[in-house]
Amino acid sequence: MSDDAHILTTDKLLMQFGGVTAVDNVDFSLKEGELRCLLGPNGAGKSTFFKCLTGQLTPTAGTVRFRGEDVTGWNTHDIVNLGVGIKTQVPNLFNGISVYENIRMAARRKHLKPMAREKAEAMMEKCGVAHLAKREVGLLAHGQRQLVELAMVLAEEPSLVLLDEPAAGMTGDERDRLADLVLETARSAAVIVVEHDMAFIRRIAKFVTVFNRGAIFREAMIDEILSDRAVQEIYLGKQADVAA
Amino acid sequence: MEKNLAKDIGFWVMLGIGLAVMFIGPMVWGLFEIMQITQYVVLSVYALSLAYIWGFGGILSFGQAAFFGLGAYTFAVASINIGETTLPFALSFILPALFGAALGYFMFYGRLSDVYLGVVTMVVTLIFWKLINHTAGPEYSIGAARLGGFNGIPSIPILNVPGDAGAWLDPAQMFQVFMGILIIVYLCLRLIIASDFGRVSVGIRENETRASLLGYDIRRHKVIVFAIGSGIAGMSGAMWATYQTFIDPNAFSMEMSAKALVWVMAGGVGTLAGPILAVILLQWLSLKLGTMHILNNYFILGAILMGLVLLLPRGLLPSVRMLAERLWHMGRQKMEENAASRKATSDV
Repeated sequence: MSDDAHILTTDKLLMQFGGVTAVDNVDFSLKEGELRCLLGPNGAGKSTFFKCLTGQLTPTAGTVRFRGEDVTGWNTHDIVNLGVGIKTQVPNLFNGISVYENIRMAARRKHLKPMAREKAEAMMEKCGVAHLAKREVGLLAHGQRQLVELAMVLAEEPSLVLLDEPAAGMTGDERDRLADLVLETARSAAVIVVEHDMAFIRRIAKFVTVFNRGAIFREAMIDEILSDRAVQEIYLGKQADVAA
Repeated sequence: MEKNLAKDIGFWVMLGIGLAVMFIGPMVWGLFEIMQITQYVVLSVYALSLAYIWGFGGILSFGQAAFFGLGAYTFAVASINIGETTLPFALSFILPALFGAALGYFMFYGRLSDVYLGVVTMVVTLIFWKLINHTAGPEYSIGAARLGGFNGIPSIPILNVPGDAGAWLDPAQMFQVFMGILIIVYLCLRLIIASDFGRVSVGIRENETRASLLGYDIRRHKVIVFAIGSGIAGMSGAMWATYQTFIDPNAFSMEMSAKALVWVMAGGVGTLAGPILAVILLQWLSLKLGTMHILNNYFILGAILMGLVLLLPRGLLPSVRMLAERLWHMGRQKMEENAASRKATSDV
């Protein structure tokens, strides 16, 4: 497939911290409008991979391309302004200000003032945090903070959405709402979701990429992945000597 | 849902007090009081410069005196050479703002962390202080203005009516003009803070990573915030120079930088009115303690500041605000309880 059909491609992406290789020669590609789940045990390099994609870390080697353009080493804000939105593993929010102000600030990047207001209100409603609009973000529970951050990401209307463990700390209802939101988002944007919650993954995923020790271990449909013994062993923490 | 400046009672109260003091003050105060309060006004403008960059931009500068001194010397040199004070006064804002932008560019685009930023701003101030102290000889002149080294520059022109170099302001007029400047600076800063730019600055203060993940260029934002603060500090330096008609290297001293930090910390980081309140209280206290000769002035002031930091860590204004809110809620709760018990009695 040509690069034109891909929103994101990485070529031999390598991220090393001293002697530790966090992302190991990853060749990854994502089509426009595709929903992909990333699985892998803790420390597999998923979050570091996201940080390399968004310019929070400059890769040691390799390239990141967004719609064919080489964005390796770009500043975070420049990459984001191309249309990338990210919800980080630990919610990154403006703690001292209200939920509404947080989301409005995100919406303001793309919209003029009145539209930004409408957009922020719509996103609060969509993500189920409208009743928290005036609350200070720093005082919210973890699950609520996750939803606020998601609302911020969606308010930016990105074409590539990166969600790092979005369901962590959520109640059952919140998780259900989140799954619906992810599926709805995937109708208008490409989405990559990193998650450990298998019930959640089953609900949203079709094609899955499994990371292990910084490298891509498997790429297959969800059913195939879930029945793969080697993947199960990775998740059970065994040092399986399995061939990829 | 958005904070609207027009509906902010605190803003209108501050504006009302400011205008009342500006117009009624000279009618009721004697010359000594006017001179004294003019000093508070100048230092309040200086305190606002740090209150803005620290409280609303998250930039902790240990070297605000560098811009204060730069503004003071710019005004002194330019007004001595030009003879008229309007352009020098404007330059006292512009030059420090440009210098602040240049310094900020290297600091923020160089991605200096907070600690190093503090060190760099402090070192820049010390360099200025050292440099200006070594300009005592006649060779250190800019036009007709001799820099004077540690002796400073005397006979700095008093502020005049724009365009008329001979029409100097008397102390009461100077007080009113400076009050006007303080009100305008306060008003402008409130408008900036309420604008989208200001909201993003607060966002950057709260979480730089999220701000950049939303696509905001935090380095550019910080440079602009720093330059605005530098310009205001420079302008207050010019006010100080024309008020005293004299300036010396102490304008660049660490004490001058520390004072700004103390005022903002004591008044409340993240407020504008707080540091103004702190300037008035602490300067007044300093004056009173100085005349009493009980103990060393700095010793008592230091003890008071330590007490403030320990007992009111959020600063004077936020603590007063919190207390007022608590009393208000308690009062409302009490009234509701009384109303409920009256209703219960009448139902019986």
